[in-house]
Amino acid sequence: MISRFLLGVGLIGLMLVASFGTYTYLAGRQSKVAVVAQKPTAASPRPNAFTLPGTLYLSQSGAIYSLSFGRFHQLTAQDGWTQPSLFPNNSNLLAVHRLYDHSDVFVLSRFGQPVAQWTSNNASGPDTGARHWSFYPRLSPDQGTLWMSYDEPKVGYDVPLSIWAVPAGNSIRQGKLWTNSIDYTGGDVEPIPLRTGGVMYTKYSRDDNANLTGQLWLAMRPARPANGLTLTTDGAEGQPLTSTDEDCAQPSISPDGGQVAMICTYQKQISYLVLASWNGSSLGPRRVVITDQLVAQPTWAPDGSGIAYLAPGAGASDFQLWFLPKARYNPPPPSPIPVPTPTPGGPYHGPASSPTPAPPVVVPLVKPIQMTTDAGFDATSPLAWAG
Amino acid sequence: MPLGIKPGRRARASRRRLSIVRTAALAIFAIGLSAMAGSFAYFFPAAKLAWDATSQVITIASPSPSPINTAPSSPSPVPIYQPGAFTVLLLGSDDDSKFSADTVLTQSMILVRVLPESKQVIMLSIPRDLWVPFSTGGSGKIDEVYANGYAGGAVATVERDFGVHVDEYIWIGLLGLIKLIDAIGGIDVVTSNPVLDDYYPQDIYDPYPYDYQRVAVLAGPQHLDGIHAMQYVRSRHNDLQSDIGRSKRQQQVLLAIRKKAKQVSSADIQPIALALGGEIKTSIGLDRVAQMIPLAATFDNPDAITSMVMLPPLWHSGAPRGSLTPNWGAINYFVHQYFPYG
Repeated sequence: MISRFLLGVGLIGLMLVASFGTYTYLAGRQSKVAVVAQKPTAASPRPNAFTLPGTLYLSQSGAIYSLSFGRFHQLTAQDGWTQPSLFPNNSNLLAVHRLYDHSDVFVLSRFGQPVAQWTSNNASGPDTGARHWSFYPRLSPDQGTLWMSYDEPKVGYDVPLSIWAVPAGNSIRQGKLWTNSIDYTGGDVEPIPLRTGGVMYTKYSRDDNANLTGQLWLAMRPARPANGLTLTTDGAEGQPLTSTDEDCAQPSISPDGGQVAMICTYQKQISYLVLASWNGSSLGPRRVVITDQLVAQPTWAPDGSGIAYLAPGAGASDFQLWFLPKARYNPPPPSPIPVPTPTPGGPYHGPASSPTPAPPVVVPLVKPIQMTTDAGFDATSPLAWAG
Repeated sequence: MPLGIKPGRRARASRRRLSIVRTAALAIFAIGLSAMAGSFAYFFPAAKLAWDATSQVITIASPSPSPINTAPSSPSPVPIYQPGAFTVLLLGSDDDSKFSADTVLTQSMILVRVLPESKQVIMLSIPRDLWVPFSTGGSGKIDEVYANGYAGGAVATVERDFGVHVDEYIWIGLLGLIKLIDAIGGIDVVTSNPVLDDYYPQDIYDPYPYDYQRVAVLAGPQHLDGIHAMQYVRSRHNDLQSDIGRSKRQQQVLLAIRKKAKQVSSADIQPIALALGGEIKTSIGLDRVAQMIPLAATFDNPDAITSMVMLPPLWHSGAPRGSLTPNWGAINYFVHQYFPYG
């Protein structure tokens, strides 16, 4: 017979194991919804995994990462770094250093080392309105001008972003205000300087039903010259390229300059990846390429092999890196219909045989490729892609 | 009896066998009891929240509510009378350190009509500055009624003034919304425009709640944590529509929470309950909550969700203390297209 003492000790041990085990089991059954995103560098690429050409720069949790040869590298500390963009000659990066009450544009080396600070948006004193935001920095094709969204002019409670062009490395006082943003909308963002000297950007406005909506615009000359006191209103802000109903933003011009990728929401809590041809002054018919994902920041591969973008991963949230191969939006042309060979023996005058229909050309549906699984990238930060 | 076995040994062997059976039964019972104890410990915060927050009794303050505003019946663009359909009043309060717990305003009041059969949801935000007669007596901005009569007063005022029937209410505090969003791992939202505010109240986790801070929530699809989602739905200074624009953003975030909640498992209830302690109250009973959770997962079509705010000519400005004067005839005609008479 088992000793009562041993039995008691055994039972107590069993009960402890059962109760803690049940608690631990239940805790382990929690879904992954609240799991904190991993650093991209934590994951190792799988053997034979698909790798993107060139080097891609993107932001997560205040740090900038590069992705090349299938491997991520952390370039900056997690300290408010976001919105990288490349110098046109790929020599350096522009990036935004965002703190809790202002943000500044910095030049970084391609390895993430700060080289120069190009804006000074902090201010002393308690007045919150004395500080400024700079977002979406881009360099002009000749590298002589910094384009960005900057919250000036602002009056009282109205803090709209406007598009500014500042001689590279100079103060905002030498800058030109290019767009006349609409009051109480959030303003004008995401400038893309064009080779023609103008700028494509996203303007926020209100439609006929007072809904706030995004539109791509084209401006060919500044709204106000440097140090000018008057704001021109004779259409200097340019012309809309998309309608308010489409609610489009985040434009990206293809390497050959002939297409624009953008996201459009049609004023719903969705975002589609939309392509349109671009002739330098207007957009052609729209082609909706992705409709089943919350797409953000489409960016063309420098070699034209596809489009990278951010979207939540399959079955989870947090924005992951995806790649859409060119074959999805630009499928290969169908093979030519075979021409019947002439029958030897001269022309045939009998009844014409009905032509055999050519078999339909089946274009396999190319799916987007999910490049990361638990990274959680900053979807408000454009991607930069060097060839 | 087999040879060689004495009667005494057989009895002892029988007792030993019995002892093993008893011991095994005792062990199984102990394991079961311990597993139940472990489960109870795990789900205790959720059970406590359910006990504290659900099935809140609505006390209707006198005078008794009766519709004061009636309008001719209006055609409904959607069939609002369906089996199982119900109306919920969502109340959101700034319960930061500027306010004492019993005098909070309801900065957000949203009437929600749920139509399970057609899988449709209709949301209508009520402007917080609307000047209305209170069910508790007197008049004021509708966001003040909660401080006068708690949830019962708010429900009775909405029922009486808008002539609708409210089946249930849900109240959530400012911190509750932040914690809820964080507990479900954040939400994915398409923010409609850049929201920049140089005078956003610095009253969350701050010893000086009357200070200001700068916020900038950029536009487009993005993942928001609780603090940034709160900044997006709460900022109103840089919006021409002020509270109306804010109401639209609140509805966007509500839809994002609903979408994210579909990924939550029953084991997630414990951390969510821990996060929400004291920050949520509802008249909905536990049994109804259990029915609603799977129901919510079936509402997938974004076109079946109608989000609305009240715009002029339903009201005009110029009333006392910067409030809005309601045009009750127009409001009732509008509201009863989507919400049945009370």
